[in-house]
Amino acid sequence: MVTRLALIKELASIVPEDVLVVSSIGNNSAFWGQLAEREANLFHATLGMCTPAAFGLAMALPNRKVLALDADGNLILNLGVLGTIANENPTNLTILVMDNGNYLGSHKKEPGMPTATGGKMKLEQVAKACGIESAWAVQEVAAFREQVQTALAKAGPHFIRARVEALDTERPGKSKRVPDPRENKYQFAKYIERTAGVEILGGGLGNFG
Amino acid sequence: MKPEKAQLVVQGLKEAGVDFTAGVPDAQFIEVYKMLADDPDIRYVGTANEAEAVGVGFGAWFGGKKPALILATSGLLVATYHLARVNIMHEVPLLVVVPYRGDIGDPRWLGLYKKTTEPGLDAMDIPYRVVSRSADIVRTIKECNESARAWLKCIAVILNEEALW
Repeated sequence: MVTRLALIKELASIVPEDVLVVSSIGNNSAFWGQLAEREANLFHATLGMCTPAAFGLAMALPNRKVLALDADGNLILNLGVLGTIANENPTNLTILVMDNGNYLGSHKKEPGMPTATGGKMKLEQVAKACGIESAWAVQEVAAFREQVQTALAKAGPHFIRARVEALDTERPGKSKRVPDPRENKYQFAKYIERTAGVEILGGGLGNFG
Repeated sequence: MKPEKAQLVVQGLKEAGVDFTAGVPDAQFIEVYKMLADDPDIRYVGTANEAEAVGVGFGAWFGGKKPALILATSGLLVATYHLARVNIMHEVPLLVVVPYRGDIGDPRWLGLYKKTTEPGLDAMDIPYRVVSRSADIVRTIKECNESARAWLKCIAVILNEEALW
């Protein structure tokens, strides 16, 4: 089985610069921050919030591609969002789930505990049953690359479950500081303001602005 | 809530510049939700739970929308983890509008929410105003949204007494 690191490395090599990537807390954000230094990253979406946040962003910016870099334990906390997304049908959204079937798989050595996907649950079947027709499962690098590239090229919404090893035994070197949530907010919002022509932060000067 | 008062909530959102809303329908605000769903100027996304609505509003803000969450009193409890996270860690402004079930004057046995609503907002460091008169609904929503966006903080408007019943 492939590692999270191998797939995130691959992702970093194929995602265009202008695709907006919303990553979940833990090693999705930690690895992505090390391997993909780019302005279009929104990090640290907490449990249950990654795919909803990517969905909200996709709704607000229908002309930009948005990718949720989510995880199994994170997504299943707010699984109902898949039904919401199916009904709203944001064609610019791709949900990519790093499915290690494990809580605390981001630990290096100690095993965590299984998520529902570590048992019988198949998230791509859940997504399909919710009404997301383009729902796929991959478990090796070549299929991952092909599926992500196809998703970013075609109208969605798309759902890709990437089965990865339970523990992150392989890690990238730490050469960069991943921005904290507030720092990242300003960076990402300014990037969106500049590239999408919308106002986000405002002046905060009221009648004097 | 009578339709004419629900209309004031929608008017307040519009005059505040809110153009994106998310939430889960509840009995007190059902007219508000229906009006928002039919309104061409404000996008309404019905979510499966209120925590999901927080995530959706959070993402929409980064896309340049001016979002508000329309949450039931009980739904505010469901939303707390994500709201606390968004307000304290990310400092992203979401206007939160809530019918204050369980406050004094509520004829149903919902006193639970008297114990959770205002203390919960305080615990999440979310400033709020209680609106008791319908004549104050529009102005208060506008003022709270203006401050939320200037401060980059979530701010809540909670409706009770004549403003709600």
